[in-house]
Amino acid sequence: MKKTMLGLVAVAAMTVSLSATDYRAEKPDAWTAHDVPTAIKALYGEITPADAEIKLKAPKVASNGGAIPVSLKTDIPAKTVAIFQDANPEAAVVVFTVPEGGVADFALKIKMKKSGTITAIVEGTDGKFYSTKLSLEVALGGCEG
Amino acid sequence: MKKLMLALVSIALMATAAMADATEVKMKIKAKEKDGLVKAKVSISHNMLTYDQAKKKGVEANFISHITATVGDKVVYDASTSQFLSKNPLIKFAFKGKKGDEIKITYTQLKGEQFFATKKIK
Repeated sequence: MKKTMLGLVAVAAMTVSLSATDYRAEKPDAWTAHDVPTAIKALYGEITPADAEIKLKAPKVASNGGAIPVSLKTDIPAKTVAIFQDANPEAAVVVFTVPEGGVADFALKIKMKKSGTITAIVEGTDGKFYSTKLSLEVALGGCEG
Repeated sequence: MKKLMLALVSIALMATAAMADATEVKMKIKAKEKDGLVKAKVSISHNMLTYDQAKKKGVEANFISHITATVGDKVVYDASTSQFLSKNPLIKFAFKGKKGDEIKITYTQLKGEQFFATKKIK
């Protein structure tokens, strides 16, 4: 009897550990925040990120706001990486969890309604925060209005 | 005691049901290993309807809220995403891995449905 119970507990525990961190479920406020500082505060709390070597790349002028290629690379041993922007109704775009021993090298395409600034925050494994910003112009708004 | 058991059984069942829910879909996946580093490119067909767009069209918003990549039982990529990813999102990432392993990409939609695709690392 006890054994079956233990087995079941183990199964339940395994399922939990398999699923990685879902920041949508954990920090719902970060995703509804309308500006970048509020979103950062909701996600990480009160932080004062330092400037650091984070290679954040995006075109200076994006012709299509519906798909702006953004890439981010850093040599800082990172725990999480978050990207925000201030052109859309909500600020948060994506939060990456860098797996242990993983590489912080991401690229993706994002939508921006109008010209704005992209902010990237890197949470280092040392518990410190680093950030960088990048402004770009959007010729044709994404989000289809 | 019996109640506890039942609760546990139901939890376990729920967990398995949630896992089995994932449907296999087509995704464009490219994963190539070089010197122990795997570079992966994934393209998912999804219209990523934001709340604004959905309102205009009179339909419900639907976008990918979570993307995970696993090799074996190890998570190599994990992203919580918002509606501001482009339509048919293209993601690129790198991780330490080796040739011949199978990479599995799973994404979760706003309402919790899961979809996955697998590919061998070249």
